[in-house]
Parts: sequence; C-alpha cells; structure tokens
Amino acid sequence: MKDIFTDFYNTILGFFRQTEKKEENAKDVACNRLRVVLMQDRTNLTPELLQRMRQELIDLLSKYVEMDKDALELNFDQEGGQMALMLSIPVLRAKDEAEIEAEEEAQADEEEAAEDNESESDIPEDEDTEEDFENDTDEQEDESLEPSDADKTEQTKEIEK
Amino acid sequence: MQLCVEPNQSQAKKIKGETMSGRVIVITSGKGGVGKTTTNANIGTALARAGKKVVMIDTDLGLRNLDLLLGLENRIVYTIVDVVEGRCKLKQALVKDKKNPNLCLLAAAQTRDKSAVTEEQLKDICEELKKDFDFILVDCPAGIEQGFQNAVAGASEAIVVTTPEMSAVRDADRIIGLLEAKEEIKSYKLLINRVRPNLIKSNDMMSVEDVVEILSADLIGIIPEDTGIITSTNKGEPIVNDEKSLAGQAYKNVARRIIGEDVPFLNLEEDTSVLAKVKKFFSGLMGKEK
Repeated sequence: MKDIFTDFYNTILGFFRQTEKKEENAKDVACNRLRVVLMQDRTNLTPELLQRMRQELIDLLSKYVEMDKDALELNFDQEGGQMALMLSIPVLRAKDEAEIEAEEEAQADEEEAAEDNESESDIPEDEDTEEDFENDTDEQEDESLEPSDADKTEQTKEIEK
Repeated sequence: MQLCVEPNQSQAKKIKGETMSGRVIVITSGKGGVGKTTTNANIGTALARAGKKVVMIDTDLGLRNLDLLLGLENRIVYTIVDVVEGRCKLKQALVKDKKNPNLCLLAAAQTRDKSAVTEEQLKDICEELKKDFDFILVDCPAGIEQGFQNAVAGASEAIVVTTPEMSAVRDADRIIGLLEAKEEIKSYKLLINRVRPNLIKSNDMMSVEDVVEILSADLIGIIPEDTGIITSTNKGEPIVNDEKSLAGQAYKNVARRIIGEDVPFLNLEEDTSVLAKVKKFFSGLMGKEK
C-alpha cells in the first residue's frame, strides 16, 4: 500500500520536474549546432593554420605564464551574433618581472641574430611584411596582457612582504 | 485576374516577332533529395500556366528525373547531349508538355556522365533559348562538382532549395557561398521546402525564420510538406495542377513572385488538428469568429 503511494508521489513529482526543467528543445539545439558548424565552414582556416596559430599563441603567452600546453583549448564559438575565438589556458604559474625581462632580452638577442642573418641573405618582400604583421599583433597582445600580469606580480610581492 | 492578362502579352510579343530576352534561373541545393527537381517542375508549370513561355533544362546527366515528374519520359527523342554533339537542332530536342504548349523540356541524357556537356556549351544553349522563352529554368544536379558548375554557367539568377534540416541548411550555406563568388549570378533567393508546421510549433524543427536568419538570404517561397507530392510524382503531374493542394498553391505563389508580383507568404501556422477544427466549428456557431 505504501509502495503505491510512493510510486504515485514520484510520478507526480517527476511530471512537475519535467515541466520545470524543460530541456533545451531540438530546434534550439539544431540552431546552435548549425551556427557553430557554419562558422567553421565559412572561415577558411585550415587545420594546419589553426595549429600554427595555436603554437604561436603558446610561444607568446609562455613568456608571461607557465601553462599546461597540452590542455590548451582553442575553438570557434558563437558569442551573440558574432564569431568568437575561445581560448582556454590552464595557467600553472605567472612569471615575475625579472623572469619576463630575462626572456625578453634573450628574445631580443635572438631577433638580432635573426636579423643579421636576414640582411646577409636575400629575402623576398612578402616575408618582411608578414614579420611586421606578427610584430604588430605581439604588441597588441602585450598591451592587453600587461595589466593582469602586473596585478599578479603585485600580489606575489604582497605575499612576500 | 492579373493572370489572365499575361498570356495575351506574350502572344502579342510573338506576333510582333520581337526577340525575347528570357531570364535564366538555376535551381540548386547542394544536398540531394530536398526537392530541386520537384521545385523545378512545379515552378515551371506554374509559370507556363501564368502564360509565360518556359523551358526547363535538366542538367543532371546520367540521373535524369525531370522528365518523370512532368510525365514526359516517353516523348523524349533527343537530349541535351545530342544537341551539343550536333545530332539534332536545339529546337528539335525540346519536348512540349502534354497540356501546356508554353512549357518545354530539354532532357538530360541518361547514358552519359557530367563531362558530356561543358560550361561553355550550356551557356550557349541558354543564350539561344533566351531568344524564344521568357524563362529558362535549369535543374541542377546535387553536389558542388562539375555538374553544378555547368548548371550555373548560363544562369543569372538562382533559387536555392533547402529544408529546415541541419544537413540541408549547411549545404545550402555552402552553395550560397559558391553562388556569391560567381559574377554571373546577379541574385539568389531561398526556397524552404518540406516545412512541417506541427513540428515547428512543438519546437522540434527549425522554423522558417530560423533558417532565413542563419543563411541570411532573401526568401522566395515556403512549401509545406505535402503527401500529395508523392502521388503527383507517381502520376507525372506537377502538384500545381491540383487546385486543392496547399503545396501547389505555395508553388504558384513562388511563380508569381518570380514574375514580380508581391504575394504574401501562406500562413502555415494555422492549426489543423481535430481539436482546433472542433473549436473553430463551435466558435463559428457562437458567432464569434476568431
């Protein structure tokens, strides 16, 4: 007798739960999946290019933070009406200023060496412009990253105190 | 009423011996099985019924079907390949419709593959037909390979057929991308086929608005799913000839929009369930029309 009542209670509760939850309907799922897949279709980024972008981002960001490179995720997603590049980076540790400066110096040395090599050999103009472009994006990324990085170093300093 | 005026106009043109400059419209979809050929047969028939001179070209070499939908399969003597290879004149290869003398078909060859006709040859055929017809409807094969390139070659307008299903919409998006890259294609319109109002209402199917928004293309027609399509195909009789059919009405509206009339889209949202009919009946009795 008790079982019948509990069963009855559960079914009624289940009914209300179903209506409460209202899982995302098939239509919305279809729309969202389609939007994402169409964005991927429409962008002409090949998997190779995507891989290159990923590697360059890792190179750039690892100057400031130590991260779990294998767990880095890079995906296209829908953000409102626009396409967004979603980058998720598991950060292990933020580097301090001294480390960053040291790396910058090392990089500058490398670049100088590279430039020396370039001036020695004849290089088509295309590559020059490409390099300029890369430098530009580097600068932009630097700017956007600096504040947060400064915060972090400040925090570490405070802890030290 | 306007429809009655149209035949006289085209006849007048013929009498004066003016050369027409027909519109070449390619009907394409990317995905197979969404209703390209059905759309072609019905729009063509509807345009002819409205008094326009129409020729349909089946470019699906090796997989021809347009002849079946029109019930003309037994009348085909020459095909487009015979024209291209010089075995007959273009006019000899045109098959006249049984009922409507305004309607002609240039059939595809069933025994050859897509390479039997080139883009240039199709362009030439379209140019030639433009002189004698108001509309040249090109039925495009599925896919984005040479068959598609051929079919699009001579056209300046396109109708992209899709259904409210993910795979069809995705392929339509791809086709739209390809059409936009073609200079000759001046405009393209979207036709959404096999719309099922009940499924849309229960949020199980993407709505017409969803598809239009995702593809961001202009709409030229909404065709409801109609079992009558199956019987009409079996009989070789386009559904626009069935006055009672909703899909037929929708296709006729598409034809009128192509001609340039401003026709509102059919309201498919109307509830056709038994309960709704009962409600309607009673509300009718009570004298308060909803």
